[in-house]
Amino acid sequence: MPSKERPAEKPIVKRSLYSWVFGFNTKLQILLLVVILFTVFARVVPLEMQKRIVNSAIKLRKIDLLLLYCGFFLAAVTAAGILKYVINIIETYIAQRTITAMRKSLYEHIITLPLSFFRNTQPGTVVNALSVELNIPGNFVGMAIAAPVTNILTLLAFAGYLIWLNLWLALLSLSMYPLIVFLVPMLQKRVNRANKERVDMAREFSGRVAESISGIHEVQANGAYPIENNKFGIIVDKLRQIRLVWSLYRFGIKTLNNYMTSLGPFIVFILGGYLSIKGRLELGALVAFLSAQEKLYNPWKELIEFYQVYQDGMVNYNRTMEFFNKEPDHQLEPVGRKPFELEGNIEVSNLRFLTDSGLELLGGINLSLKAGEHLAVVGFSGSGKSTLAQCIGQLYAYSSGNILIDDHEVAQLTKRDMARNLGFVSQSPLIFTGSIEENLLYSAAAANWNIESQKAERLPTLDDIIAVLQQTGIFVDVLRFGLNTVLSAKEYTALIKTLVQVRANFQLEFGKALADYVEFYDETKYLYHSNIADNLILGAARRVDFEQHMLCENEYFLNFLKEADLNRPLLGLGAHLSRQTVDILGDIAPDPVLFAQSPIAPEELDTFKDIVKRLNTLKLHQLDENDQTHLLDLALRFVPGKHKMAGLPVMLSGLILESRAMFRERISIDDPDAFAFYDINQYIHSQSILNNIFFGTTTTANPLAQEKINQSIIQLLIEEDILEAIVKIGMQFQVGSKGDKLSGGQRQKLAIARAFLKQPKLLIMDEATSALDNKSQTRIQNLLTHRYKGKSTLVAVVHRLDTIKTFDKIAVMKAGKIGEMGTYDDLIAQKGMLYELVYGKRA
Amino acid sequence: MNSSTENAPECTSCELTDDLNLLRGIDFFARIPLDGLKILAYLCTRETYKPGDILFSQGDDDGQAFYLITGKAKLSYKNENGQQVVRDVEKGDFLGRLVLLGSMPRLFTLTAETETTCLVLERAKFLRTFEQFPGLTDKVFQAIIESIVGWDRRFLSSFKEGCNTCCDMVGISLI
Repeated sequence: MPSKERPAEKPIVKRSLYSWVFGFNTKLQILLLVVILFTVFARVVPLEMQKRIVNSAIKLRKIDLLLLYCGFFLAAVTAAGILKYVINIIETYIAQRTITAMRKSLYEHIITLPLSFFRNTQPGTVVNALSVELNIPGNFVGMAIAAPVTNILTLLAFAGYLIWLNLWLALLSLSMYPLIVFLVPMLQKRVNRANKERVDMAREFSGRVAESISGIHEVQANGAYPIENNKFGIIVDKLRQIRLVWSLYRFGIKTLNNYMTSLGPFIVFILGGYLSIKGRLELGALVAFLSAQEKLYNPWKELIEFYQVYQDGMVNYNRTMEFFNKEPDHQLEPVGRKPFELEGNIEVSNLRFLTDSGLELLGGINLSLKAGEHLAVVGFSGSGKSTLAQCIGQLYAYSSGNILIDDHEVAQLTKRDMARNLGFVSQSPLIFTGSIEENLLYSAAAANWNIESQKAERLPTLDDIIAVLQQTGIFVDVLRFGLNTVLSAKEYTALIKTLVQVRANFQLEFGKALADYVEFYDETKYLYHSNIADNLILGAARRVDFEQHMLCENEYFLNFLKEADLNRPLLGLGAHLSRQTVDILGDIAPDPVLFAQSPIAPEELDTFKDIVKRLNTLKLHQLDENDQTHLLDLALRFVPGKHKMAGLPVMLSGLILESRAMFRERISIDDPDAFAFYDINQYIHSQSILNNIFFGTTTTANPLAQEKINQSIIQLLIEEDILEAIVKIGMQFQVGSKGDKLSGGQRQKLAIARAFLKQPKLLIMDEATSALDNKSQTRIQNLLTHRYKGKSTLVAVVHRLDTIKTFDKIAVMKAGKIGEMGTYDDLIAQKGMLYELVYGKRA
Repeated sequence: MNSSTENAPECTSCELTDDLNLLRGIDFFARIPLDGLKILAYLCTRETYKPGDILFSQGDDDGQAFYLITGKAKLSYKNENGQQVVRDVEKGDFLGRLVLLGSMPRLFTLTAETETTCLVLERAKFLRTFEQFPGLTDKVFQAIIESIVGWDRRFLSSFKEGCNTCCDMVGISLI
């Protein structure tokens, strides 16, 4: 029985919901059954005790019997309670285990589905299916054995007991139940219909929301808020309608059930009362009968609820599975053999590709490449270049014809075969949340993944990685990330020591050359590229309460500002800064590019807008404490060299310089451990590596200056032999969601490096260098020509024609066909299509 | 009184005000309303280049517009015959109407001849500002059209008749 974490091999979309109840959870379900048997027994005992207490103990006035029966009663009630709790735990455990397994298998299935499936499927739909829709089916699986068995057994036990007490009374009072059993399914049919609609609507709903949010830039750029609200409104209203109908029917079932079951006691009262008055029924029996009758209500209610969960679960499960019931185009893992190690000979013959709607994107492509040859595919957009590359790369299943790699038909190769031998760089590569290192190793790790051990078998070494970083030209960027890191003291004690030594050599070798781009920390000068708080203290806090964001609440510091006569001038500066910023940026969208040079972050803007409004009628000293704190905080953050909306009054900079000495004097007496003051012989733990090497800050983000700084720093780091260490730190840089902390060029370089690290025999590059500047593009081109030619087969879709001269073959595509193919010189001499593309029509 | 620029003590935001005035003097920006121009002035940076520093180089797409505040720079391009000097760019010149609007490779190289200070505006910043003011499109396009027509007009009035290659090249306003 497959009761491990990985369920049966059958794809989840073909499994029935029942298969999860038994196959997957057999042992737990059996355990559950045992517990249930005890529970039912424990539930009936109190009824009998009740009768005995009234009939024997009380009637015969026997205290010992009373105590005995009450003891049994208590024990049974306690046991029933505990057992019910145990049942709930096991049920929940089964449900959660099942939901998790369902999610895993469904996700595993979904990500193998063909790309064409995702063209019509919004990410939100997938998220909704994985997160919401599987909950009820999972809960059903948890309840599937426990709920019906417990409740039916309990019902039978109670019913049997009732019949034993009084046959006719029992039969009459139970007569309602068959009627309910007949009526409820009729209503449930309507519930199911509404629920099906609800599932579909919820799927559409999540899809739509996801679409709008992922296209939020388009919404904001067009100011299309009303249109989006309208679209959203329509679908939400529809969803409300459906949910309303669904809920009304569900409550209908509940109400019907409640009403019918409450008719039971009515019959018992009227009939039992009559019998009792006539002396044909003992009073104890009537009490027992009444409480047994009442006890019927709970299991029955649970049974009906279970029935509803069962029906809803079925609908949700089947509806969801039907939606994803598609086959992947290719097998994932080879069976009974190791993945092929291919050489990279490509033979394409008569290749055709039709879209689902019958449009012919490729119409009979023939080409042949020997292992190690390089082919450039050029042509107008829409000519089928990318489609050809994607067919060869097994991303699209071609309609007819053949693509052979070393005599293996691509359509028949497994995904693992392709991953092992192919490096694919797409037009707009996606970089995932995580570190640079994780993204670099993404392809190599996937190609060498061991399914058994759940780990990659062999990964590139640090030397390999650094080599590829350099080849693709992303090395400098990674180094930058490393240099901008603020190191934690504990992890890097050795490096920190070296960095302090490097500082002296930097001043000696490059201090003069870079003086224009660096503002060195200097106790005697005002630093225009550091903020006011740094200028006042020129030290790193050793305790949290002295860290910059806390200064405005630090009693000692605030007192100092007052004594140094800085409080009011700083408040004034804060007021001026907020007026200016609100004036310039007050009415625009919170775009990080536009706020990069602002001391006020987009999310704080509203607060400061309110303060500015108050400043129109109030004087500074009339503002409340909260507002004053905001203004002071803003002033302390002000960097004159960066926040252009205000200048620093000369008087204030002089005053701050004066106060710097005063603050040092005071605090070294009052609280000597509060700060580590900047010292040329000490590492500054609050500053980045670069600022530590500089013992200062850069004054410009200008690319030319950055380039000069990079060159000097690289030279220095090589001399000191810590370049690798810094790059390693840089590789831990977190790239953000979809790599949004990287530029377009950096993302593309990272994607190329990711493919190169695998050293694939076959490389497909689909306009892989389109976002790169000239230098980087040339670098990659040289690398391909000198390092990969003769070693790896390359199919490159190229849009910039100045890079194609070095390719072995050039294919010019037009309207889904190869118009001409040959070497660059031959094709140019021929004066055909390539000539036209390169030199234009007029010549 | 609560106008922050007029009422403030001594030099509170002089660089911003100066840059705002510089931008107003450039035809390309002159039509942009003041609130948009203020944002652009705030987004500009002042950069200083030493003799020999390259401001932009042929083939790159650096996406920066330059206004020369002081100094002098040399415009050149490279072909099979080597580096060809085109002309000098001087104080008061603005290069960047097209570069701000979309990506394009540089056809020329600009090298500082003397110490040169420029007001630099990046394309990304300009375009994001542009997005905030939907009404700007017309004004910017009009400015571009006028510059191109002006260029063509100057060319027409100065080239010598009989220069065959010139006849092929005239008419950039027809694109």
